[in-house]
Amino acid sequence: MIPTLTTERLVLRAPKLSDFDRYAEFRASERARFVGGPNNRAQAWQQFAALAGQWMVRGYGRWIVAHGATDAPLGVVGLHHPEDWPGAELAWSLFAAGEGQGFAEEAAIAAREFAYGSLHWPGVFSLVDPANARSLSLATRLGCQPDGVFQHPVFGDMHIWRHPTARELRTT
Amino acid sequence: MRVTLSDTPILQTERLTIRAPQAGDEDTLIPFLMSERASWVGGGSDCDLGKAWRIFSIVAGHWVIRGFGTFVYCDRASGRPIGSAGPWYPGNWPEKELGWTVWSPEDEGRGFAFEAVRAVRDHVYGELHWNTAVSYIAHGNKRSRALAERLGCWLDEDALPPYPDEPTWIFRHPGPEGSA
Repeated sequence: MIPTLTTERLVLRAPKLSDFDRYAEFRASERARFVGGPNNRAQAWQQFAALAGQWMVRGYGRWIVAHGATDAPLGVVGLHHPEDWPGAELAWSLFAAGEGQGFAEEAAIAAREFAYGSLHWPGVFSLVDPANARSLSLATRLGCQPDGVFQHPVFGDMHIWRHPTARELRTT
Repeated sequence: MRVTLSDTPILQTERLTIRAPQAGDEDTLIPFLMSERASWVGGGSDCDLGKAWRIFSIVAGHWVIRGFGTFVYCDRASGRPIGSAGPWYPGNWPEKELGWTVWSPEDEGRGFAFEAVRAVRDHVYGELHWNTAVSYIAHGNKRSRALAERLGCWLDEDALPPYPDEPTWIFRHPGPEGSA
């Protein structure tokens, strides 16, 4: 079973079929250009299934971020770890409906607490396309520090932003 | 942390245990996906490790999203995974499919896939209340076509393929009344 996290305004939960249309719209939109898109519906299905299945393959993964009151899907946040990644990444993508309200930050903090508190990871990083100003701004708000570049044959150069470690968060 | 698919059915046949995918199946599945034999089903000798792992994630994630998905059939005595058989219904598929693979060439020709698909077909009709099923077979995959025919399927010229650009044999299965 995929664990569920609850924050003040949000629930981070397993993906479900009723989320798929919103997810496919996001993957087909210009918003997906920083995360390998835009993608057609067939590709979006594979991405959606893969994000659900990574939980079973790795024991951790990404959640659908849903509105706490309405359960409407707002985005995808969590621990993304394809085989050719430099490690497990704390990743976030907000659908248009979820933007500009601090939801990504609220969800990313919950996901980071899960990585540190439940999985006992010492640290985690995020990969950000340097042209993605909103995402860079969030990485900064989360206290991340730049830590080099990861070059991917498909996604190109992504900047590594290292989060404060579990120890650093405990002592601040 | 170990995350498993929960409340998934287990089917038994004379020689096989048929269950949901689980961690550890990749030891057998991934070498298959990266072999030429998998070129009919989206893998092949040009499939790299990253893509093979991703396919395994998709197979598992289909269960999460749909509540059903393809099974892994295993040797009943030893538990050794042999192949996959079962329902497959991605968001862009025209209709629900029954698919199958045999992961190792040594297990071909022993009737395992036939045994597994028959049991899974009974399951999708009896438990999931499907009233029909197709199998999409890449044009030229004669072994798979032979199995479809042995399962009583016929070529359905009117059915739509998942990818119009890819030549596909579409086999229609006998319905719930005709498959027992």
